[in-house]
Amino acid sequence: MFYRDPEFGSRMITLMAAAALVTQFLMVGQRILITNIRLFAVQSFLLSGIAITIAWFQNAQHIYLAAALTFVLKVMLVPWFLKRIADRMRTQPEVQPLINAPVSLLLCGGLTLMAYLVAQPLTLDLKREAGFELGHNTLAVAISLLLLGFYLMVSRRKALSQVLALLTMENGVFLAAISLTYGVPFVVEIGIFFDVLVAVMVLGILVYRIGETFESMDVSKLRDLKG
Amino acid sequence: MLLSTLLLVPMGVAIACLVVRPYWLLETLNILAAGIALTLGIGLAFQVLEHGTVEEWNSFLYADALSAWMVLLISVVSLASSIYSVGYFRKELASGAATPGKFREFYVLTPTFIFAMFFVVLANNLGVMWIFLEGTALVSVFLVALNNQKTSLEAAWKYIMLGSVGLVLGLFGTILTYASAVDAGLETMSGLNWSHLMSVADRFNPNIIKLAFIFVLVGYGTKAGIAPMHTWLPDAHSEAPTPTSAMLSGVYLKVALYGLIRFHTLTTQCVGTDFSQTLLLNFGLVSMCVAAPFILVQTNLKRLFAYSSVEHIGVICVGLGLNVPLAVFGALLHMGYHALIKPVLFFSAGDVQQKYHTLDMPQLGSGLLKSMPVTAVLLTLGIIAATGTPPFGLFLSEFTVLAGAITTGHVLICALFLTALVTVFSGFMIHTSRLVFGSPPIETDDNRASCGGSRVAMGFLIGMLVLFSFWLPASLISLIRKAAEVVGGGS
Repeated sequence: MFYRDPEFGSRMITLMAAAALVTQFLMVGQRILITNIRLFAVQSFLLSGIAITIAWFQNAQHIYLAAALTFVLKVMLVPWFLKRIADRMRTQPEVQPLINAPVSLLLCGGLTLMAYLVAQPLTLDLKREAGFELGHNTLAVAISLLLLGFYLMVSRRKALSQVLALLTMENGVFLAAISLTYGVPFVVEIGIFFDVLVAVMVLGILVYRIGETFESMDVSKLRDLKG
Repeated sequence: MLLSTLLLVPMGVAIACLVVRPYWLLETLNILAAGIALTLGIGLAFQVLEHGTVEEWNSFLYADALSAWMVLLISVVSLASSIYSVGYFRKELASGAATPGKFREFYVLTPTFIFAMFFVVLANNLGVMWIFLEGTALVSVFLVALNNQKTSLEAAWKYIMLGSVGLVLGLFGTILTYASAVDAGLETMSGLNWSHLMSVADRFNPNIIKLAFIFVLVGYGTKAGIAPMHTWLPDAHSEAPTPTSAMLSGVYLKVALYGLIRFHTLTTQCVGTDFSQTLLLNFGLVSMCVAAPFILVQTNLKRLFAYSSVEHIGVICVGLGLNVPLAVFGALLHMGYHALIKPVLFFSAGDVQQKYHTLDMPQLGSGLLKSMPVTAVLLTLGIIAATGTPPFGLFLSEFTVLAGAITTGHVLICALFLTALVTVFSGFMIHTSRLVFGSPPIETDDNRASCGGSRVAMGFLIGMLVLFSFWLPASLISLIRKAAEVVGGGS
């Protein structure tokens, strides 16, 4: 049966990883905040799909849990929470990037290329068990998510877009964790998810306070402290 | 039981402070928690000296000499700043600068912060260490933003964003380390346990460990305030309420550095001494050289002290990077002395701020000695000690690091190290002489003397510094020596 075939599994993973990378590029090019939040949810959904596939073919129970937590937290809770803040702040819908979309996309293409170059020797270094090959695609996508998230963070002015950028970086690390080592120890996994949840709440509260005090979410206005 | 109690005490106090109403009880509970923690920390130090390592909860918690040393630093600084915060927050409440809600928030968050820091240094698992490092960041961001003014919100935003990016990079480094551990055949559950990792580190893939260390260096280095990732530090440390500034500068930077040291040791064990120590050495020197000019031209008193912390972290990194027993010993000793003196500086700055409602040195003018004699004397003593002037201990530890550099024949490093130290020294002397001597400063509506709590806290720290400058107990020396052996990879 095809769903028992490891070859099929690794193709599915490559497909979903590629789709996750596409959502990241869309976020770079997209200017509407709400759409960005939705794109983040789609990306997280793809990641939980990858996690389920790995769990199925590796027969690793604890990755199912990671997948479920990703789904509940990053696909449902976090986007809902961010959307709520965005609604309450009643800000302009546009994210106002510092660099325009075509140049951004070109730069991000370069960053992705770099990620592939970095990932190739790394995957060769790590010996893999035969039968289930993740290939260096997944790790390369993970590093791309990290780099592109970094780029998103420095090129956005709005506090909420920066939070989203941070979350996509975290997605990259999560993808690296499940593709390199099939997840991290159970306690650590739970802890990381808990931290992400708390971090989003802390950031949300801070964004709200900044919005109330400065009457704007534009963090480039935060420049009183110097020297 | 010792390690669990050490964690439970601040945790319990944090929970108790959620429900306790009277102000005096909140204050007493906080002081009590720090005091008990200090006693337990001393007990732990003796146990570590006797047995080498202490493990609990099926080796989930693990303490060696380095952890015990960090526990001592955390508890001493916590005790001093909890004593100081009594007077400080009473005054803030009276002047209307702090609301009762903020007051309560501070007393709940501070023990939580202490609890998370203890967990960072006592966790055996590098992943758990990361979780609690993130935890400390999330707790302390509310402490930084406590005043809820424009500047403190700006500082908190920079602090949390840069810190989170750093922690994400640190997590990536941790996962790469784990990948190479699994690759080397470690079972998955204990694959991040420090005590296991060290024994199999020489079987790791060197390329991956190198990459992991770079990620961790940038990541945890951001939290530790190593230049050029230090840009959040002067903002956060100057905008936080003073007791928090003291904790952040005095001990939190070192807790983050502790995480880096663990990975440094691992990398050294795996790929030999050259790689990570060279990086630490260079970043340390950069920190010192970046901080020095900012100290020269600084106008804000608290920012001045924050940059001084960047410089001291640089000194510690240089000592660790030289990686000879003498220099590592000096670096760890320097951690201790710096933890004693940095809170004194922040406390005196806090007293000045409460009296004159500004920290801007040109605005403060001069003549602090006439208007606030006790604070001025303590401030001057603190600055003399912090710049590494004899007879205080920081001279001893900086000189030990320098001696390590001389014995290994790094002439250029010695020259840069000394230049930075002299620049910092002259910068501090210019600012202090202007501020302390001369005619009385600007008028103020607040003519009350600074409160007793702050003097007790500062006297406690200065007294300990003077005591340990002239007389280091034999057990303390052997503890630091053992910690230096841990850092040096047991060699």
